[in-house]
This record gives sequence, C-alpha cells and structure tokens, in this order.
Amino acid sequence: MTPLLTITGLSKRFGGLVAVHDVTFDVKEREIASVIGPNGAGKTTFFNLLTGIFRADAGEIRFRGRNLLGLRPDQIAAAGVARTFQNIRLFGAMTTLENVLVGQHANIATSYLDALLRNRAFLQRERAAIERGRFLLDYVQLGSKAAEIAHNLSYGEQRKLEIARALAANPALVLLDEPSAGMNPRETGEMRDLIHRIRDELGISVVLIEHDMPLVMSVSDRVIVLDHGEKLCEGLPAEIRSNPRVVEAYLGRSVAAKLAKAHDALVEVTQ
Amino acid sequence: MLTDMLLLLPTTLIDGLVLGLIYASIALGYTMVYGVLGLINFAHSEVFMVGAIVAIEVLIYGLAGTGLHPLIQLVVAIAVGGLAAGFLAVAIERVAYRPLRVRNAPRLVPLITTIGVSLFLQDSVRFVESLFGQFIRPFPSFPFFNRQIVLSETVFISNRTLAIIVLAVTLLAGLYYMVHRTRLGKAMRAVALDQKTSQLMGINVNKVIATTFFIGGVAGGVAGVLYALQFGRMDPFSGFIPGIKAFTAAVLGGIGSVEGAVLGGVLLGILEVVLGTYIPMWTNNAIGTEYKDIIAFSILILILIFRPNGLVGRAYAEKV
Amino acid sequence: MSGWHPSTMRSVALLAYAGVFACLKIWVFTGSSLIDTCIFMAVLASIFFATTDNVAPWASRTVLAAILLFVLPVVGLANTFYLDVTTQVAIYAVLALGLNIVVGLAGLLDLGFIAFFALGAYLWAILGSTQASMFLPGSFPLPAEAFFLVLPIGVGVAALAGILLGLPVLRLRGDYLAIVTLGFGEMVRILANNLDKPVNITNGPQGIAGIAQPLNGLAIALATDAVPEYKWQALIYYFFVLCLIGCAILVNRRLDASRIGRAWVAIREDEIAAQAMGIPLVATKLIAFATGAAMAGGVGVLFAAKQTYVSPESFDFNQSIAVLAMIVLGGLGSIRGAVLGAAAVTLLNLQVLKVLSAWLNTMRADGVEFLGFSFANLPAQFEPSKYERLIFGIILIIMMLYRPQGLVPAKRKNIGIDVDSSTGKPGNQA
Ligand SMILES: Nc1ncnc2c1ncn2[C@@H]1O[C@H](COP(=O)(O)OP(=O)(O)O)[C@@H](O)[C@H]1O
Ligand SMILES: [Mg+2]
Repeated sequence: MTPLLTITGLSKRFGGLVAVHDVTFDVKEREIASVIGPNGAGKTTFFNLLTGIFRADAGEIRFRGRNLLGLRPDQIAAAGVARTFQNIRLFGAMTTLENVLVGQHANIATSYLDALLRNRAFLQRERAAIERGRFLLDYVQLGSKAAEIAHNLSYGEQRKLEIARALAANPALVLLDEPSAGMNPRETGEMRDLIHRIRDELGISVVLIEHDMPLVMSVSDRVIVLDHGEKLCEGLPAEIRSNPRVVEAYLGRSVAAKLAKAHDALVEVTQ
Repeated sequence: MLTDMLLLLPTTLIDGLVLGLIYASIALGYTMVYGVLGLINFAHSEVFMVGAIVAIEVLIYGLAGTGLHPLIQLVVAIAVGGLAAGFLAVAIERVAYRPLRVRNAPRLVPLITTIGVSLFLQDSVRFVESLFGQFIRPFPSFPFFNRQIVLSETVFISNRTLAIIVLAVTLLAGLYYMVHRTRLGKAMRAVALDQKTSQLMGINVNKVIATTFFIGGVAGGVAGVLYALQFGRMDPFSGFIPGIKAFTAAVLGGIGSVEGAVLGGVLLGILEVVLGTYIPMWTNNAIGTEYKDIIAFSILILILIFRPNGLVGRAYAEKV
Repeated sequence: MSGWHPSTMRSVALLAYAGVFACLKIWVFTGSSLIDTCIFMAVLASIFFATTDNVAPWASRTVLAAILLFVLPVVGLANTFYLDVTTQVAIYAVLALGLNIVVGLAGLLDLGFIAFFALGAYLWAILGSTQASMFLPGSFPLPAEAFFLVLPIGVGVAALAGILLGLPVLRLRGDYLAIVTLGFGEMVRILANNLDKPVNITNGPQGIAGIAQPLNGLAIALATDAVPEYKWQALIYYFFVLCLIGCAILVNRRLDASRIGRAWVAIREDEIAAQAMGIPLVATKLIAFATGAAMAGGVGVLFAAKQTYVSPESFDFNQSIAVLAMIVLGGLGSIRGAVLGAAAVTLLNLQVLKVLSAWLNTMRADGVEFLGFSFANLPAQFEPSKYERLIFGIILIIMMLYRPQGLVPAKRKNIGIDVDSSTGKPGNQA
C-alpha cells in the first residue's frame, strides 16, 4: 500500500538557524504517528512546512501522490490536510458553531450570488453544514456550547474546538500540535479516546506532536523523534522508550550518561 | 530645452537631497516604532508638525531681537522644538497606546487610535494657534539663510541648504550610532524581536518603548524645523502629507531599519523633486507639479508590489 | 397587564413612543429650531428601537413602515430640511455599511474609501451634465433617465476599481493596506482636482454643476402650489436612498450569514488560522473590497444626482475618516451600529458644529464678554464648523480606548438559519 503522506529530505532554516534538517518519513492510511522531541526541536516548524505556512528550502512533500510543495495553506487544506495550533488560534469573536462552519469553508459550495439571493441551494447547504457542525461539536463533547463565543471557552474546550474545526475540513490527515498541553489527567484521557476515535471511526490519519509520554506511548502506531531539526530515530513506541539516544536528547548527555551508569550498576547488583 | 534641463540639474539634485534628508529624519520615527511595536504611528506626522511650530514660536517670541547669530538661534529653536516633539511623542504613547498594549487589543485597534490622535492633534494645534491669531505660521526670515555660496558659474548653494544638510546628516549619524552601537540600541532591537523574552532577560520593555518614541519624536521634531526652514512655513495640517511620504520612504528602504530609512528618504526626495521639476517641462505643463504626490504614492504602491520588504529590508516570517 | 409577555409590553411601549413623537413632530414641532430638531431625532430613534431583538416582529414592522413610508415623507414635504437631513444621513449610512464590510467584517483598514464614492459621483456628474461633451463624442447630458443605467454601471466601475487596487495590495501585511488606501484616496482626489487639462475631464477644482436629476418629470407633474417641484424631487431622492440603504443592509446581512461573511470574520480574527482552514486570503479579501467599493460607487451616483454639483472637496481624506468614525462609533461589524454611527456623525457635523459656529459668530458680532474675555477679540480663523477632525479624532480615540466594540456591538448570535425550523426564515442578526 502506498503511504498517504511521503516526506523526503525536508529542510528549513531561519537565517543561521537550521530549524528542520533533512527529515524523511511517511504516514500510512489510518495510522497515528507521533512526533516527539525537546522544545525547539523543530516539530512545529515541521507542521508549518507541511501546511504551507512556511516554504521549505529543500525536500519533497507528497500527499496521496500529489506534490504539496509550493501550494498555499488553503490549497493544502483543501487537498485534505488539516491542523491545530500549539498556541490556540481560534476565531475568538465567533461562536463555537461558527468556528466549525469556517472549517467547512472549502466544502460548502454556495456562491456569492446564492448567498445574496438566499435561494434553496444556499439554505440546503447551510443547513447541511450546520448539521455537520453540530455533529462534530457533539463528537468532541462541545455540543452544549454551540452558541458560546469561542474565547469564553475554557482552555481544554478551546483545544477540543480546534480539533473539531480541523475535522470539519473533511481531511484525510490531521496534524495535532500538542493537543493535551495544559490539560488535567482526566482531560488527557478524553483526548486519548478522541484521537483513537478520529482514526477508528472517521478513518482519518493523525500526526501528533506531544510532550505527554504516556499519551504518546498509548495512542501511537509509530513514533518519530526530532532533535535539533533532525530525525533522531523512528520506531514503535516500545522501541523508542528504550532507545538511549532519545533519553539523551531529552535530558542532555550528562544526565543520560549518569542514568546509563545507574542502570548498569543496577544490572550489576541484580546479577 | 535640453540645456535648460542640464542647467537646472545641480539645483534640482540639491533640493532633492535636502527634501530627502528631511524625509529620512521623519522616517526614523516611523521605522523605529514600527520595528519595535509593529505599529504605523500615524500621529508621528503631527509630532513633526508640533516640533516645527514650537520652534517657530521660540524664534518669534523668544529669540527675535536678541541679536544672536541666526545659526545659534536656529540651533536653540531646533533643540526646543525637538525636545517638545520628543515629549509629545512619549505622552502620546503613554496615554493612547500603552493601555492598548497592556490589554493586548486586536491589531486594528491601536492603528485606528493613532489615526485618531493624529486628527485630534491637528485640530488642537489649530485651536491653540488660532487663539493667537493665525494658525499658518511663516518661518521668520533671516537674510543670512538666503545668502548664496557660489560653487561654480551655474551652481549656487544657499546657507539655508547647507545648514539643513549639515544638521540633518548630524542627526542621522547620531541616531545610527545610537541604534547600532549602544546598549539602548541593543535593548531596542531585543524588544523588537521578542517582548516577552526581553522582559525575562531583565529589559524594562515599557521604558525601552517610551525611549523609542522619544528618540523618534525628537528626530521628527528636528525634521519639522528643517522642513519649515526649507519651505518657509508650517501649519497644523502640513505635517500629514510629508508624514505619509516619510513612511513611504521607510517602506522603500525596508521598514525597521535605520539605514533603510535614510536610503529610502534620500531616494524618494530626489525622485520627487527631479520628476516634479522635469515632468512638467517634458509635458508642457499638461502634467503639473500637483502630480508630485501621485508620483510618491505610485512609488509606494510599486515597491509594495515588487519589493515589499524594501531595498535593504529582510523578509520576516511570523512565528506560528 | 401583568399577564403580558415582556416582549409584548415592549412592543406596545414602542408603538406608543413612535406614535407620540410622530404626532408631536407632524402637528406641533414643525419648525427647524433646536427643539424641533430634537423631536425629529426622537422620531428617528424609534427606527433604532424598532430594530432591537426584543420587540415582536409585528410591532417592529408596523413602526418601520409607518415612520419610513408615512411620517418622514409627511414631515419632509412640510419642511424639506428634514428630508435633506435624512437623505444625507442615509447616503452616509450606505457608505458606512460598505466600509463595515471592509473594515468591520474583514478587518481591512481602508483609509481611502471615499475614492470609490467619488468614482460613482463623477461618473454621473460627467455623463449627466454637459461636461462629457468636452472629451466624448455624442450629445450630452444624457437624458435624466439614463441614471438608472448609470447606477449599476457605477456599482460595477467601483467594484472593478476595488479589485484593481486590491489585487496587488491585499497580499501585503495588513497595516500597509491602511497607508496604500490612504494614498489611493489622495490620488483620486488630486486627479479630480487636476484633470481639467490637458483634456477637461473633471473640470478641476471648480467642479461640475448642472447634473441631471432623474424622475424630474415626475416631480414636475406632481407639483402644486402647496407642494412645489423641488419638494417632490427631494422626496424622490428620499425613496431612492431608502432603496439603496435597504439593499446595503440586505447585502450586509446575507453575506455576513454565509460562508463568505464567516470567512471575512475568520480572516479578521486570525489570518493564519483562516488560511489553514482552507480560506483563500486574497480572493476572499478582494470580494470584501469589491463589495464595499460597489456600495460606495452606487451611492456616489445618487449623491451626484441629488447635489446636482460635485467637486473634489467632497471627497477628501476627512470624508474617508468621517465614514470610519461612523462605524467605529457604532461598532465595527455591526449593521445597526453603522446606521446609528452615520446618523450621529452626520448630525454632529451638519448641525452641532454649524450651530456652535453661528452662535460664536453672533457673540463675536455682539461683542459679548465672558469672564473678562471679549468675544469680539475672537480671531476670525477660530471657526468651530471646521473642527471636524477634532470630533473624529476624539471619537476614534475614546472608542478605541474605552469601548472598542462600539455603541451597538456586533452580536455573533449565530448563523442565519435555524436548522430546526423548516421555513428557512432568517434568524436574528446583529
Ligand atoms: N518564524 C520563525 N522565525 C525564526 N525562527 C523560528 C521561527 N519559527 C521557529 N523558529 C525557530 O526554529 C526552532 C524550532 O522551533 P519549533 O519548530 O517551534 O520547535 P518545537 O515546536 O519543536 O518546540 C526554534 O529555535 C525556533 O526559535
Ligand atoms: Mg512547538
């Protein structure tokens, strides 16, 4: 089976800073892949390259066989890649439902004239969009907040709304940038279920940036580790967990070395 | 006709340079504030105007009849006008912009506020000035400034022109030094890059911003005095168009950069004067000097289309 | 009484209010002194009250129909001053509604909006007077009824100008747009001022006079001794502008409640997120720009006809700012706000400053002294009617600092239709 998304040799620099360097990886249909790595590793930049917000300096991005490089963000969204943002970027003055309707923008076929005339086609499509919007709000447990103004929602609710808005675009792939950041354990648990349901029920592939390791380890089919913009390694969650290079990237060399020593000592003792 | 044009060229270029240096000095205020806050400070043109009017008042009511050398009178007037403009700029920032910054208002809000302040100042100055009779203030005439220095048979330069060039270049050089070589300049650039991090690094962000407004205001005020000296008058509404053009100059050079403002200012000044002089000649006055503003605005639109980051500006990607 | 629904109570109160003031205005306060004008404003206010959400639709429709179709025409025919004021307010309201789309909904700060108004106005001014014969073959002025053809052309020309200006400029960072549109506005004014040579297109600073008035034949036919022609003509313009404002409100409401309006607001709220959600930025902004410009162009055509005279002065930067002040005062993105703002700023400009000016002039002429200050010494340049910028400046600063949402904040209640009801009846809009 050809992968849904294939990325080859992706690179991006800001002035002298290499934010993403020669990253290659792919995402299969109905897969949940996680990207982890310390702060500043280039994870968000990686998403920004995928969604066309920044232009890659080198590399290739193929999605369902189509080259995404050089497309505008809206074209990429229309092609089936939707995302959320690490620093929540909702349309604060709009209602929760409207936010989800904006997500459907490209899928509502009403023209300017339809809107002015308020004809049958307009009303039908609008009704369908609202129905779908309500479905998605229910899907992320925000059904009761449809008429609420988005910036009055709680932090956790805003994160969920961002996901609903991304799903509204009818994507084949969603990119979630730290969806559980700032959430309590109960909310994080709900987030884990939601991510599973997105894949299992809606059949959408997910790429997840996350710092919460239990969440990453329990939802991911595969984990990619970025450090200083480069792909450090890639594998099953269990493989990544036990990879010393990953520990090193997260904790720094000296701590990792001490840990390794402690580990060795422990092994010696137990032997 | 060709010889006429050639004969005119040196004076035209010098006039263009004078205007350009003035634009550059105004542009500094726009570019520094834009660099630090990402805000077009529409009220800067009124800071410029106030500097000029205060200086004219000082010359008329304070220095007339003192018998001081005209150059000394000019320097004193510039100092007072520049300081007044600087303090005005700081006051505007304090009263109108800082509250918006604190509450993190959507970007349209401070922009509209600066327009409001600009209009408010125009009519406030008009109000105050018309209480004293006239709100159009002629620059006091000094025969000294009209005296010509003969450079060659066809090229003269007046004391006025020379004084403006020397003062403007001094001002620009001083500011360049300040932004690039001092701690304050470094702090300003840090705040421009990232306010939050600068705060964490122990920089007093509010103070740096106020200082930026002060320096930009002083430069604008001084430019105002030079402008009034060059064109012989100032009134409450005469700041606006030079202000827009100076902003154009800042964009032309690359907004946020001091060198860019100077480059853009000089270029725009020369283009404006040269085209404003020659186009009427070429077209037999069918297209008159009234079109010089159109030329300036067309330049603005063209740069923004073809080189939105200006001549020396760097592209910048918003963090997402 | 206590058994009544609160909305019914409010509706009855509205009817009573409108009825009382309408009667007072028609029979008692018929003049144009200050108190008469205040009563007139109270009558206008009933339109405002009638459009709040919490009155019953029947009451709201009754009051609107009665005031707009009966009371104002009657009052206006008795004293055309009121008809002129209302028409003036309505013209600015259409402009404000156009700018509301650009600034209020899409968040694009346009400081040269009046240029599109100028395009429409000059279009009819040139074609509807002898001016066109200066540079076009054929016989001019066009017959007055060509107005109805030129009106849609004016809409189209302005929309096209909006697109041509917007195409290069709307790619830029938002705040540059402010300065470029300001430059564009100035350019159009300078052109209007100077295009009297080499070919006389605009007649320069003198402006164009003698512009044809549409339906003038009707006004002449209706004229009687009691109600002369010019009054009927004023009434005709009143109904014209009523139609235009109706269209402008409809366009605002319907677009606002569609994917297009949602895309505008999304761009205003967060451009990057909007684009990542599949909204093409430039195209969507262009639609906003062109829609706003089209409204200005259309009402410009009407303005030229009504004034029978246009000159560059009517289209300077102050006018662009006036329209901006209207929507900032009323509330960015708010339809009722735009109309209220237009009324408030126009009346302030037209009435208050003029009255103040006249009052000061009499005091100067009479040499009144106050706290030792003799008004006779008031300099001639001290002319309050010219202090519009002060007023606009204060409005902009105070509103932005203390009430950025405006007097009548836009309510994003919801979507234009109710999913549960199958009637497809429009819901309430801000
Ligand atoms: N627009 C930008 N301009 C300059 N540097 C940037 C920009 N965006 C990100 N960076 C830099 O790129 C690096 C990677 O950042 P990011 O992708 O946000 O990391 P992560 O999401 O892994 O924490 C950081 O050093 C960051 O400062
Ligand atoms: Mg990140």
